[in-house]
Amino acid sequence: MQRFIILLFCLLVLNIQWAEAGGWPQPKGNGYFKLYQWWVVADQHFTDAGRIDPNVTSGIFNTSLYAEYGFTDRITAVANIPLFSRAYFNNTISGTTGATLIPGESINSIGDIDLGIKYGLITKGPVAISATVLFGLPLGNERGGSEGNLQTGDGEFNQMLQLDAGTGFKIGKLPAYANAYAGINNRTEGFSDEFRFGIEAGVNLFNNRLWAIGRLYGIQSLQNGDLNQGINSTSVFANNSEHLTFSPEFAYSITDKWGVSASFGTALSGRIIFANPSYSVGVFFNLR
Amino acid sequence: MRMFNLSALLLCIGLLSGCIGDDIIMDTVEENLRISASIDTLGVGDTYQFEAIYTNNVGQEESTNIDWSSSDENLLRIDAQGLATGIAQGSVSVTANVNLADKTVTDVFDLHIADNTVVAAPQNRNGALRTTSSYVLQGNFVLRPDGDDLVLSFDDSYRASSSLPGLYLYLTNNPQTTSGAYEIGKATSFSGSHTYTIPGGDATLEQYTHVLFFCKPFNVKVGDGAFEE
Repeated sequence: MQRFIILLFCLLVLNIQWAEAGGWPQPKGNGYFKLYQWWVVADQHFTDAGRIDPNVTSGIFNTSLYAEYGFTDRITAVANIPLFSRAYFNNTISGTTGATLIPGESINSIGDIDLGIKYGLITKGPVAISATVLFGLPLGNERGGSEGNLQTGDGEFNQMLQLDAGTGFKIGKLPAYANAYAGINNRTEGFSDEFRFGIEAGVNLFNNRLWAIGRLYGIQSLQNGDLNQGINSTSVFANNSEHLTFSPEFAYSITDKWGVSASFGTALSGRIIFANPSYSVGVFFNLR
Repeated sequence: MRMFNLSALLLCIGLLSGCIGDDIIMDTVEENLRISASIDTLGVGDTYQFEAIYTNNVGQEESTNIDWSSSDENLLRIDAQGLATGIAQGSVSVTANVNLADKTVTDVFDLHIADNTVVAAPQNRNGALRTTSSYVLQGNFVLRPDGDDLVLSFDDSYRASSSLPGLYLYLTNNPQTTSGAYEIGKATSFSGSHTYTIPGGDATLEQYTHVLFFCKPFNVKVGDGAFEE
């Protein structure tokens, strides 16, 4: 029971984004809400050969609300809502004349929204296992800018089925946990389907105030979509994107209910995706 | 209230840190002068108006003074506007010069002076692609006239990465940028022979020096190919 409580606490305190929700559903009437800013500014990207090539500096900034709420002890509603999403790329300036060759552009909109249900298959015992069904609603802008090459969404409705397994343990006297997940993301509009996977582990420090977390997660394209000539998406929305990313995070509880978190993610390898680190800072609230 | 302020701060970070900046690219190219003439032989007593295209150090076409000269004034005379008159039979060279502050840009055109003027058939322009990125791009190409249009053909050796979103082709005088380039369109094939038709009036056979492959969504050059002289 103590282990389960530790696991539950992990779930409540963690910087939870969609793929990192873990194997534990929320107890009935409880919730976790987080307002966070995620961004990446990239002047290079992984090519289809996995090498790194330069590109015009581009950025994406999402101000999002992540929410979990337990309808029952086994069924938890989850949502990730990019309330404000901004994408841009820089001006291209001639080093010879100083003239603007390609003017930079930006777009602002709501982003693609993820809605889903997590069901606790095994909620008691040493390992908690849950299944999640996710629906990705294409409410972002997939063809912004004068050339249609700015995106705050991928323009496709996707459905993902994910299994999570998590366990709690102690490192010395310090509470700790580990979680692993795998999922299949069925994409539409010519995008290839994806296999998503990840592992993470966290340890609690400073009298339950600070969680130090390490994540390793990735996406593998199933390469069953259309050729890319019909798709204009880039950055983090490109078709057949793949990556393996390491992402450390710190989540600090200011009070029993409120806390702040910060993380960054750096891709260890990738294909057709930005190669610069992403960053995230957030404020979270635990409803108990 | 404190948390509200933190939330507002998050939004401000997004708004302020997402400002558009400047990326500087080195786009200097050699100035270029090309005589465009569709003539093999000029008849004695006949005239022919020579024309030339000058592109500056960023590959932009620019109107400038061109000095025209004949290698042998006894065979061919040419005035300051490039109007040539055949005088006597023989072989001669027409030279066009653009004098810049630190150098002279030159092109030379050889022709014969004979009894009658002979118009030359337009010459196909050939080239070979090369990748300038980590993406695959290779193959040979030919630009040729087809009635009023131009046709850009790639042969069986052509290969291009199909992984890039939005791969576009251009004709350009500066392979470092799409600025000032003529956009042919989105790549429609990624291997083997195929063609693109360029409508008459959009471009001329001698107007550009390079074929450029550019990923428009990523704003990144993929590769290019120079037309052989």
